[in-house]
Amino acid sequence: MTVDHTNAPLLRVENLGLRHVSGASSTPILSQVSFDLGRGEILGIIGESGAGKSTIGNAILGLLAPEFQQTSGTVSFGGKAMDRMTAEERAALRGKRIAAVFQDHTASLDPLMSVGAQIEETCLALDTRLSRHQARARSIDLLARVGIAEPERRYGNYPHQFSGGQRQRIVIAIALAGAPDIIIADEPTSALDASVQKQVLDLIRDLVDETGVSVILITHDMGVISEITDRVLVMRKGKVVEADRTSVILDQPAHAYTKKLLAAVPRLRVTTGPPQTDGGSEIAADAPSGEGLRVPMHLVAEGVSKQFAPRGLVWGFGRRGESFGLRDVGIRLPRGTITGIVGESGSGKTTFGRILAGLDTAPSGRIIIDDQAYDVARSGRRSGLLGRVQMIFQDPSVSLNPRMTIEETLEESIRFGASARRQDSQANVASMMDRLGLARNLLARHPHQLSGGQKQRVCIARALLAEPELIVADEPTSALDVSVQAEIVTLLKETIAERAITMVFISHDLAIVQAMCSAVYIFKDGRVEDFGSSDFIFARSDNSYTRTLIEARPQRFTC
Amino acid sequence: MKALILSALKKRRHGPALSAPRVLLATYILLAVAAPLIAPQNPYDPLQIYGWEASSPPGAAGGGGYLYLLGTDGLGRDIVSTILYGLRISLVVSITSSAAAALIGLTAGVSAAYFGKWVDVAIMRLVDLQLSLPTILVALIAIVTLGPGIDRIILALIIAQWATYARIARGVALSEVGKPYMDAARLMRLPTRRIIFRHLLPNSIAPAITLIPIEIGHAVALEATLSFLGLGVPIDKPSLGSAVANGFQYLLTGQYWISLFPGLALFGLIASINLVGEDVRRKLDPRNHAQ
Amino acid sequence: MGMISAVLGRLSQAFLLLVAMSVIGFIGIHSVGNPVFNVVNIETATPEDIRGATIALGLDQPIWHQYVVFVDNVVRGNFGTSYIYHLPAFELLMSKLPATLELASIAMLIAAPLGTALGLVAGRRIGTLFDRTLLQASVSALSIPSFWLAMMLILVGALLTGWFPSGGRGTTAHLLGQDWSFLTANGLWHLVLPAMALAIPNIALIARLSRSGTIEVESLDFTRFCRAKGLSSRRILFRHTLPNISVPIVTIIGLQFGGMLAFAVVVESIFSWPGVGKLLIDSIQLLDRPVVMATLTFVAVAFVLLNALVDLFYAVLDPRVRLSS
Repeated sequence: MTVDHTNAPLLRVENLGLRHVSGASSTPILSQVSFDLGRGEILGIIGESGAGKSTIGNAILGLLAPEFQQTSGTVSFGGKAMDRMTAEERAALRGKRIAAVFQDHTASLDPLMSVGAQIEETCLALDTRLSRHQARARSIDLLARVGIAEPERRYGNYPHQFSGGQRQRIVIAIALAGAPDIIIADEPTSALDASVQKQVLDLIRDLVDETGVSVILITHDMGVISEITDRVLVMRKGKVVEADRTSVILDQPAHAYTKKLLAAVPRLRVTTGPPQTDGGSEIAADAPSGEGLRVPMHLVAEGVSKQFAPRGLVWGFGRRGESFGLRDVGIRLPRGTITGIVGESGSGKTTFGRILAGLDTAPSGRIIIDDQAYDVARSGRRSGLLGRVQMIFQDPSVSLNPRMTIEETLEESIRFGASARRQDSQANVASMMDRLGLARNLLARHPHQLSGGQKQRVCIARALLAEPELIVADEPTSALDVSVQAEIVTLLKETIAERAITMVFISHDLAIVQAMCSAVYIFKDGRVEDFGSSDFIFARSDNSYTRTLIEARPQRFTC
Repeated sequence: MKALILSALKKRRHGPALSAPRVLLATYILLAVAAPLIAPQNPYDPLQIYGWEASSPPGAAGGGGYLYLLGTDGLGRDIVSTILYGLRISLVVSITSSAAAALIGLTAGVSAAYFGKWVDVAIMRLVDLQLSLPTILVALIAIVTLGPGIDRIILALIIAQWATYARIARGVALSEVGKPYMDAARLMRLPTRRIIFRHLLPNSIAPAITLIPIEIGHAVALEATLSFLGLGVPIDKPSLGSAVANGFQYLLTGQYWISLFPGLALFGLIASINLVGEDVRRKLDPRNHAQ
Repeated sequence: MGMISAVLGRLSQAFLLLVAMSVIGFIGIHSVGNPVFNVVNIETATPEDIRGATIALGLDQPIWHQYVVFVDNVVRGNFGTSYIYHLPAFELLMSKLPATLELASIAMLIAAPLGTALGLVAGRRIGTLFDRTLLQASVSALSIPSFWLAMMLILVGALLTGWFPSGGRGTTAHLLGQDWSFLTANGLWHLVLPAMALAIPNIALIARLSRSGTIEVESLDFTRFCRAKGLSSRRILFRHTLPNISVPIVTIIGLQFGGMLAFAVVVESIFSWPGVGKLLIDSIQLLDRPVVMATLTFVAVAFVLLNALVDLFYAVLDPRVRLSS
């Protein structure tokens, strides 16, 4: 560690207050935010949506939109108050002393300029003495430094020619171009798959240790906090509720909100626990053909294959992108159990879920539900598959018809749902609302008047009211805040169990899958890479990809 | 839809309800409706027209006891009356054609998006084909093919405009079809009719509807251009466009009023429609009332 | 690869368009009236004269046969002979083309840079007086019917002030075997008013597009990132914003250039500019079928070619298209 310990903090934020003013309305965004940032330190700022954490970063960078008005406090850099600096002085700090890394690596880079040129222009802007030749050499060094292989060759490539993880590395390289004192990283890994996320976090840690740069890492993810930060600021509704060293926050949180946040983080057990007692949990891993299964199968899918046509196909001259699709995928769902499908982006898990529900077709494969076979090549409506399985979708904000009230949506489910029995729909809707913890006065509202968690509860209610025997839930919690996530997972698990529904739970989050599911299928590049009982997969599977996924998780929340 | 209109109405109360373009447009419509009552002369009635008073300058007193406030045209028709009656024709032609084009285009676009496959290919091939040519050219080809007459003009304008609606409606409907709430509706095995009319249409219709005022403005200009080229309404029943056209030959000899005043009226009409249209579009833009 | 597929896609669309154009146009023109009466005197012609003329024009054949003959001729660049001018239609068209091309080019040379610049400035200063004025002015400019605008330009620029001539091409000079007005002072003088009539609505259109493009690009994350990484706002404007808004602007320039060829119909008739548009209108009114077909086919081809050029330009401009192999 080459940390330069000087007495004065590099950055000091004191009693910072901000309001958002638009027209006549004025909303407080931040109040009484104070913290110090020392050299070579990684300070994490954690909070849920609306906590104001990104606003802090923008305030330090001087990139606040004009609607934001500072109401109190100071931000001082190197002992000098930034609000007393001229606009030129502040602009001179940007990039050179304080750099930034944003969440969306795709949007951070100009799609029309080669990545080399983008780094080079940053070097030239920050150090006017550099010749073009030197700037180019430095850019190549930077690319190499952030772990881009063959930097000379890739120098002239454009952003779309890199993977997501590589793009975020390039963004970090640009941030490093001016050898800054501080990097403000706003959700730098949230758009990346878990295994890539881990590598990028390791890179940031290495850079801090090597160069002594300080990092403010803004995130919603306790896992990221536990992996690399030295100190943490816990924020809620614009206020700092707790600030301390990371180990203290994780082990002895003082504030109730911090405790709640920590408790909501799903933990993955990788040691062999007591054998699960739910029905059907014992899918023997050594019997992939299905022999030795004691439980009757509710749904069996076999040999589902699908090749996605490349986009822009004209007369055989198509673009060759990543090969999405499914290759000979099969799963078996014992009645009344929850089975998980885990995979990273592009693994085909969502497509497969839609095929199970009859929403998409695949050229080959079949689905058998209760001994009735369906040809997945025919549309779900024709083959009769459509309607046998209900779905719960990832993003509740687009899962409800925005022009129908909650009541209309739920009643439609009763009137037309699979059972199609005309019952006392109002009483049904009301009791379902109660069961899912939704106030009855929400019935008259439209979806945009509800919170994300409420909307997802309505989606669950809609699926349940159709009285299905099978439900596919596709990442039902990943668009929600972590504390809401935990509530939804619990609720889903309980209501499914009450009705003895068979469920497929699709997720990228191993810990949630473990909490929900008795059996797990691991998808990779459109294939089933590994499968078995939840117990087997997380504790004993020796499949290397499964192990990679498990090891990419923050150690802190794996036990 | 109801919620959409209600929210638009609610918004209206906050905004300036009486902006200049709105007042102007309302005046135009009133004038058009009341034309037979307020026009000094019926320009379609040969008995009321005095040929020897042709090309009288503004302010000239006519033998029929009229004061020719804006002068007369080359056939002796009072310009004020020509404008009022021409306004009727321009508005009827453009509103009828835009409404019909919207209806056809919307149905075609939403059908293409929902049914996909060959329905989509067939409709969108035609739309792409048409939109790859300038509207004026399509209208020109259509009117040359169809022949002269007000009904033909309306038909030509429908042909020239439906594709715009179809493309917009298809684009919106396609993105709606891909949303999970549509999937959820399919999973309920709702009847196709209910999916289209209860779920898809209400959510796809707004952007196409906001197009209507702007397209009416286009239709007025298109009709005027066709009439100007001598391919539009018959000369004895001039629209605003043909009134301007009739004055063109006189312009070069200095009788500017024959084309100036109908042209000003036409410009004001199109401008007020466009401004009100933009306003409506801004107000109905879902991005502006997402919260 | 992306480039090839773009070109192939465009070509297949072009082919379809041309087939459709030729069928619609051919049948349409056919139903308008009997062109025989343009070549024989309707008062004095005997039935034999009429039959002779009908056979000479090939109009006695079934309509599909006439179409096949027509297409066969078109493929060989032969649109037939003008009923009125007794010249090959294609040759006639080509002789009128330079006048239209120079008019449209000059109008676009004025409109494109001016519109883009105005839109950029307004887009960076949303809500200022300049921005609001530009918005209002552009709505007005787009609301003026093109023929009335042309007439008012004549009224103000020629009749009232006498600054510019009211019509005609003026003196032309010879270059590359064609006559051009822009090569002589007098010719340029004659170009001013018609070019303005074509340019004004396009300035408004391009300015609006460039304004909304600027607003959109400047709100994207990468411009925020550019500021965060310490670039000057001038560099962001010229190296990042401008290239990124140029894709929609180039599209509209391409389309509008094609539109100008079509709209020249109006402006050319008013300014007695002897170009393709005036030829088209005259031919429609005189039922000169071969010339109408030649002109319509030409405008359609020109439009498709411009579209293809725009697509190619995308590929040059956008590495995502260029390098998607």
